[in-house]
Amino acid sequence: MFGLIGHSTSFKDARQKAMDLGYDHIAEGDLDVWCSAPPQLVEHVKVVSAIGKTIEGAYIDSCFVPEMLSRFKTARRKVLNAMELAQKKGINITALGGFTSIIFENFNLLENKQVRNTTLDWERFTTGNTHTAWVICRQLEINAPLLGIDLQKARVAVVGATGDIGSAVCRWLSQRTGVSELLLVARQQQPLKDLQKDLGGGRVLRLEEALPEADAVIWVASLPKNLQIDKSKLRKPCLMIDGGYPKNLDEKFSGSGIHVLKGGIVEFFEDIGWNMMEIAEMDVPQRQMFACFAEAMLLEFENCHTNFSWGRNNITLEKMDFIGEASLRHGFSVLRLQPNNLQAAFA
Amino acid sequence: MQTLTNQVASADELDNLPDFSSSQYKDAYSRINAIVIEGEKEAHDNYMSIGTLIPDKADELKKLAVMELKHMRGFTACGKNLGVKADIPFAEKFFSPLHGNFQKAFKEENLTTCFLIQAILIEAFAISAYHVYIRVADPFAKKITENVVKDEYLHLNYGQQWLKANLDTCKEELMKANKENLPLIKSMLDQVADDACSLSMDKEELMEEFMIAYQDSLLEIGLDSREIARMALAALV
Ligand SMILES: NC(=O)C1=CN([C@@H]2O[C@H](COP(=O)(O)OP(=O)(O)OC[C@H]3O[C@@H](n4cnc5c(N)ncnc54)[C@H](OP(=O)(O)O)[C@@H]3O)[C@@H](O)[C@H]2O)C=CC1
Ligand SMILES: [Fe+2]
Ligand SMILES: [Fe+2]
Repeated sequence: MFGLIGHSTSFKDARQKAMDLGYDHIAEGDLDVWCSAPPQLVEHVKVVSAIGKTIEGAYIDSCFVPEMLSRFKTARRKVLNAMELAQKKGINITALGGFTSIIFENFNLLENKQVRNTTLDWERFTTGNTHTAWVICRQLEINAPLLGIDLQKARVAVVGATGDIGSAVCRWLSQRTGVSELLLVARQQQPLKDLQKDLGGGRVLRLEEALPEADAVIWVASLPKNLQIDKSKLRKPCLMIDGGYPKNLDEKFSGSGIHVLKGGIVEFFEDIGWNMMEIAEMDVPQRQMFACFAEAMLLEFENCHTNFSWGRNNITLEKMDFIGEASLRHGFSVLRLQPNNLQAAFA
Repeated sequence: MQTLTNQVASADELDNLPDFSSSQYKDAYSRINAIVIEGEKEAHDNYMSIGTLIPDKADELKKLAVMELKHMRGFTACGKNLGVKADIPFAEKFFSPLHGNFQKAFKEENLTTCFLIQAILIEAFAISAYHVYIRVADPFAKKITENVVKDEYLHLNYGQQWLKANLDTCKEELMKANKENLPLIKSMLDQVADDACSLSMDKEELMEEFMIAYQDSLLEIGLDSREIARMALAALV
């Protein structure tokens, strides 16, 4: 059995979703009530892959909402309790979706292996970052040519280049895709220098410097809401892949030659009878999902019960190959620009 | 095992243990410790009472009751160890509404309600509070509480098994008893929130732990998640 640990994009959304699901007692509560709400196993599902393999899974809502990020203890509890629930339910491999993998890493939850009478078994969890990185790279490779961008001649900015996903994307783009130049953006300088050395290339720039030079931008950092950027300074066309969380870049950029594509999202070849992706606000909730969630499904399809993506900076090109091949074989494809989006963007 | 203890230890450091010798800590401890001692004593009495209603199970229930007395002695030692005198009159008042409800159900020979109050609500309340306490307790109390919590799971399980076996006939009564008693648990939690906070136990965390234990228990008894959601609502209104 595979598991997905998710959460709503905002407190407002979370209340609405809880109401829809019939959890009125939580829905009506204020943020303090939500802070003490236990994780919920919301749904069970059965999925048959393109090659006929059947697996079962469950969706767990951690009851975390981004408004809790500033409450260290609360955020930590939400993630650990959701993980404990997954393990108690006997789930073999569970993806930490949305902010939960970030909380896990940044709040050092490895030190909290014991949750009540459960000893968490890390092997049962994956961040899903390997698949996410592969999907984002494929999204760039497939969609750039549609806009007339030749990647061999293009400059690609990676915002969040030193992160787990960002660094894997950089390695892939420099070794596999062969983009003309990588523009590396993050806040801390030393990790950027180390990455640059690792890659044997790439230019370290500040965000404001990188954007006007970039033919494509891959966003793999959670950015502050108040980020202000002058659209008129950007190149046209420019492909932006919004791999961060939450996915809100289209509000800022879309239009006049700038094409924003939701990054790190895959589509299954047929409808899955589930409601959980409505919670995650997918455009086509019966088929689309976060690539990190799909990684848990792929590992279950492949009987690969191990923490495939774990820790930071462990994603290799070989692992990306493995998960990418499995992704295609079992019926996933990466999200593409839609023809009507393309037109709207030019208008 | 070695590595596990190390991990727990380092997690504890992260949370900064309270100063066990401060007057604020001791003052709060005098009430919290009393509640725990009184709770264990009432648990003993309640299991003995239930035993008189089901004579063929009286021996099993007596065994549970004896464990509760052992817990009571353990927690009494925790107070002594810190040089704190437990405020028992406070604790008796604290438990009196729930105590009253149990006595009423007992007189009516209402086993469902008796089991729900003692073996589910009180045990889940104890388990959750003990789990939170273990994370911030002094080393002496920590060891004692870790052993106690294992027993409380046995008790919770005992109640679950009984209610599960009788669910067909007792569901309605269970819902009614929940409605009358869950709000009491919530208000008991509210009453101790400040003192618990002085012991570095967050109210938010206590509530979450309780809801986890209670939901798990209702699920085990055989209720579905919608019924559980409806029952949990009673804690909030
Ligand atoms: N399927 C999907 O859609 C998935 C999406 N994600 C999302 O992808 C993003 C990256 O995840 P992951 O790689 O695990 O995260 P990491 O924490 O490993 O990396 C974050 C990166 O962003 C950089 N960064 C953070 N804040 C800023 C800022 N204000 N300006 C510039 N750079 C910044 C960090 O470097 P520095 O601190 O030095 O600035 C670091 O390079 C997250 O938003 C995550 O939620 C994750 C998994 C799946
Ligand atoms: Fe006890
Ligand atoms: Fe007990």
